[in-house]
Amino acid sequence: MAEQITGRRIRGLSLAAAALLCGQALAQASADQPAPGVAATSPAALSGVVMPPAPDADAPHGAGPCAVPGAANAVAAPLTHVAAHLRESRSIRVLAIGSSSTVGVGASSPRSNYTARLEHELEATFRGLDVVIVNRGVSGEMAAATARRLRTEVALHQPDLVLWQVGTNDALARVSPDEFRDTLADTLRWIRSNGTDVVLVGLQYTRRLARDEHYLRIKEVVREVAAQEGVPLVRRFEAMQHIATVRAQQNLLALDDFHLNDLGYQCMAEHIARAIVASIFVRPAARGAPTARAEQRSPSPAPAR
Amino acid sequence: VAREPNPVDVWRGLALVTIFITHIPGLWWEFATHRNYSFSDAAELFVFLAGWSMRRIADGRGQPAPLGQLMLRLGVRATQLYAAQIFLTMLAIAFVAAAALLFQEPLVLEFNNTAAVFTDPVQAHVGLMLLSHQLGYFDILPLYVVLMVFAPFMVAIDRLSTALLVAISASMYFLALATGTNLPTWPVQGVWYFNPLAWQFIFVLGFVLAREARPGRRIGDAVPHLRWAAWVLVIAAAVANRTGTFPDPLLVPEPTLLFVVDKTYLTPLRLIQFLALVVAAAPLYPIIARVLPAVARYGAALGRNSLPVFCVGSLASLAGQITRFILGSGLWQDTLILVAGLVALRFTAWVVEWRSRSRDAASEA
Repeated sequence: MAEQITGRRIRGLSLAAAALLCGQALAQASADQPAPGVAATSPAALSGVVMPPAPDADAPHGAGPCAVPGAANAVAAPLTHVAAHLRESRSIRVLAIGSSSTVGVGASSPRSNYTARLEHELEATFRGLDVVIVNRGVSGEMAAATARRLRTEVALHQPDLVLWQVGTNDALARVSPDEFRDTLADTLRWIRSNGTDVVLVGLQYTRRLARDEHYLRIKEVVREVAAQEGVPLVRRFEAMQHIATVRAQQNLLALDDFHLNDLGYQCMAEHIARAIVASIFVRPAARGAPTARAEQRSPSPAPAR
Repeated sequence: VAREPNPVDVWRGLALVTIFITHIPGLWWEFATHRNYSFSDAAELFVFLAGWSMRRIADGRGQPAPLGQLMLRLGVRATQLYAAQIFLTMLAIAFVAAAALLFQEPLVLEFNNTAAVFTDPVQAHVGLMLLSHQLGYFDILPLYVVLMVFAPFMVAIDRLSTALLVAISASMYFLALATGTNLPTWPVQGVWYFNPLAWQFIFVLGFVLAREARPGRRIGDAVPHLRWAAWVLVIAAAVANRTGTFPDPLLVPEPTLLFVVDKTYLTPLRLIQFLALVVAAAPLYPIIARVLPAVARYGAALGRNSLPVFCVGSLASLAGQITRFILGSGLWQDTLILVAGLVALRFTAWVVEWRSRSRDAASEA
């Protein structure tokens, strides 16, 4: 079972990543001055990619409009393929697949959609790393259709990491939770059996749907499947809900009050980048169990800050 | 007078009903559609039959239609299809917008790739006009438009040499698959859901196999001998589908698209399975016509009026999606949607035929 980020250490892990990622300047600064020993012992030592310091429990809380507590942000789980790949290569291929948040509907230009920003976030965090993101989002698509398309796209693009934004449309179309669960679990297993890592990006938040039973069930299924398959999950619903509640004046949605605006995409990118970084530092548990909290410790000495 | 039920109309009617059902994702009755027991689905049947019907148009009654006249006729047909696509798309957009307003749920605006129209209207409208922005499930008519635009060339080459036509079409198909070439979409980054470079092949195959003379006739004569082999293929594909044993796209040799099961590129496995299905299922028609004449009449009525029925079916599917969003899913809701849809399709066919009947009556008077 992948644990939610509730443990002190793991929460700190995510918070530190938040601190790293929540501002371009901050991320840049940490990349400019890697703590002694970090580059040498971090997963990417061989390729020359400068890794960020490992996320640490004592790091300060993230700042900026997108900051959310770790528990609301993501469930981390190991990304072993990506971590190994970073050791040998200076570039990483990401296939972003899903629906309209992936397409970037509502963003002021293609440069502002989440994949473009994510590319930027990751390249700023892992200095020297070339991040190539292929965007294959189809707005309004259900998981079953994405799952069929995904297999061909994975074969054609051979990504190191698949980012799958999933659930919102199935919940709206009232796809049965069991059917949805099977589709999701099967596809995740297939992706991972091929040595490719995957990060799930969960459902969106709107106030009305926070009371919709079916919607919440599908959201729960995504969480359960991610935990069962040991796949990192970006908890968008909780993150968006947190921001909506704590900083109500801050509007993440475009004028139609639904699609994310530029800030919304920026936050989405930051939350995903944070989840990826946190997950790269998560070590797989021994004997094939996807994750175990006890095993999650940073691979390099935590820098003093 | 409406023509009597015939296999082409009835099978096309089946395709229309299937498309209506499968375009409501999650509908309980979807289990009954043949795509759950097959590599290919109703789309192959629909496009293959379009090619088949094109033969009747091209060869005319008794003597081949003059090429100039044919070009004009197909040009009109392409324009009609284009107009239908734009009309349908606009209605679908308005449907979605109305549902979002009525139920105060902006998430509905995302249904079927409509979102870009609301949030990126300047580019999206140009894309709609160019057919480079297609709504989800409203993506088959753009393929038809492209096929119709190129159909006169197909007919002209066929009159020179059928072998040449097949050679050109097959090369285009294999080239598209080998290189993964497809038309791009815009403003949303992506590719056409029905790749015209691949799907033209099944259209041409329908056109060629419908030929009365060689090679159509010869292949038609061979069909009974192929029946057993076809059934073996069909059953094997059904077993593969039910057990989820598809070729793994990452394990097959390059070029990947030649060996996987993929709809966008109409990969060979889908195509071969579809042709086997045609051979295997063709003898079922006389049985249906005899045992279930009402079903045959129903299917034929739909098939005779495929464009209007398709249009209404597309909108009915969308209405079904929205209904499920409001009423929730369950057997009674889904059955209600199915029955309402089937009635709407039949009613559409009736209205169209009633109109042409009353027009005929008026011109005779």
